[in-house]
Amino acid sequence: MVAVEAAAALLAWLGASLLVLADGRRGLALGLALLTAGFAVLALAGGLQLGAAVVAAGGGIAAWQCWRSPAANWGIMPAGSTPRLVLCIGSGLLGLWIAAVVTLGPGSALRFAILVVLGLMGARVLSSSELHVVLAGIAGLALALGAAPGLDLLSDGTVPDVAGGLIAAGVMALPRSAHVHSGAAEPDKRAT
Amino acid sequence: MQLELLAAAAATLVLAVVFAPPRVVRASLLTWGLAGLAGMAAIALAPSLDLVLLIVLVLAVLQARLASHRDFATRVRGPVLAVVLLAIGLAFERVDGPVLLERFGAVGIVAGLVAAIGLFPYIHEFDPEESVVASPIPWIAFIGPLLAVTVMSWTRQVVAADVSDAFGAVLIGLGLLNVAWGSIASWRTESDAAAWRYSFMADWGLALCGFGMAISDGMAAALVLLVSVVLGRLPLYLWSRQALREKRPADRPINLLIAALLAGSAPFAGFAARVLLLRGATQLYWPLALVLALAMLLWLPASLRLGRSLGGPRGRQAVGVAIVLALNVLLGLYPQPLLKLAGL
Repeated sequence: MVAVEAAAALLAWLGASLLVLADGRRGLALGLALLTAGFAVLALAGGLQLGAAVVAAGGGIAAWQCWRSPAANWGIMPAGSTPRLVLCIGSGLLGLWIAAVVTLGPGSALRFAILVVLGLMGARVLSSSELHVVLAGIAGLALALGAAPGLDLLSDGTVPDVAGGLIAAGVMALPRSAHVHSGAAEPDKRAT
Repeated sequence: MQLELLAAAAATLVLAVVFAPPRVVRASLLTWGLAGLAGMAAIALAPSLDLVLLIVLVLAVLQARLASHRDFATRVRGPVLAVVLLAIGLAFERVDGPVLLERFGAVGIVAGLVAAIGLFPYIHEFDPEESVVASPIPWIAFIGPLLAVTVMSWTRQVVAADVSDAFGAVLIGLGLLNVAWGSIASWRTESDAAAWRYSFMADWGLALCGFGMAISDGMAAALVLLVSVVLGRLPLYLWSRQALREKRPADRPINLLIAALLAGSAPFAGFAARVLLLRGATQLYWPLALVLALAMLLWLPASLRLGRSLGGPRGRQAVGVAIVLALNVLLGLYPQPLLKLAGL
């Protein structure tokens, strides 16, 4: 079981790294799919069957929404993405050190996955102004937030997992025209 | 404390819609205000801090979808940073590790809270021409107070006793920075709309100091201040927007009264909060009270400026201003029922 959890945490880190390294929708979709698989397996290992199912479904829908977008391309590691690569490797090493060396007790795989995905998704959302990238980052962040109660042995993580999965699916399914910002859509200045 | 702030926010929404200036689109204000209230109720009822963070994420995405000159990514940045900092801080508090990690966790939680509200050093980008519902104002004056109280109440259960000193110290430090930054910027900035926004920051600085003291006087001061932000400063700001756009400041007696309310003079709610805060600071560490007392003088020039910027309220707007003044006098003279209700 420990090996499965470790593999799932690694998958989550790989997915988050792909989300950071990709600019194209297909690359982001693959990242979201890997991230979802990682957190779904971790939830299942924690005994949260319902949570795992909703995380898999929600993350899967989010990845599918990203994949089927028009003009989809891979866009993984475009020119000038060395700082992002360094961020992915550096955050992975830092997360691993904190989860395995600095902190004690069982569940180091979950600790690693949560810390590293939170950090990477935060960095991705803050550093990008592309709408689809930001939404994919928020979907990944929702999945990590849903898994976070697993760090506390006394708390039940089913409800946050379900909420995280639903939010991930909902964020990517937002109607595109509503959040596209353009000069044509002039805000109503009279409204307070 | 959540119930009181939720009730205050609901009352402010009613005041803002009923007594709105003639050209305001009431339906939009009411719709988004009710959506905000629903989100606040969900935050107050959430059974864990993790769910609170997920609700904040949803609210941030929904608000950032509204039409605005600022793009989606820019508007969602502040709340997302807040959620990430709070989640990492919470994770550090939950795991078994050295005290240093728990201290980092406490700093992360405070930084996340400050980022969620949009205070210094995580000030949200502000466009004076933007509609209020799409601007950072709901975070600093409508949802923010209840969110802060909720986060504080959950955090007190998570933060270990040997880290609570560091937690309080960071809150007080950031609170003092915001007091200085907000009050001086509100006085010196060129734009009147920006001055209003900075004045919210200054009030929040005092509230953070109150939270950081972690004694009943400090908590009581924070609650009274936050209620006065929601029930005083916010509706006055909403009603000042038309006068700001038409650039018609006024120097009538009513403007002086409004300035007194905004400055926290007696007998308004801000005065009671300041007295409680100074009493708490004296119990904790008297030089802090001295610094706070000096900083409180900075409210005066900014408040006179903001009072003028409201113009001469007429018609139903004058009735709204009178109600806000009366509510703040009531809260300033008799804060005890509110504090009793909050268990302080």
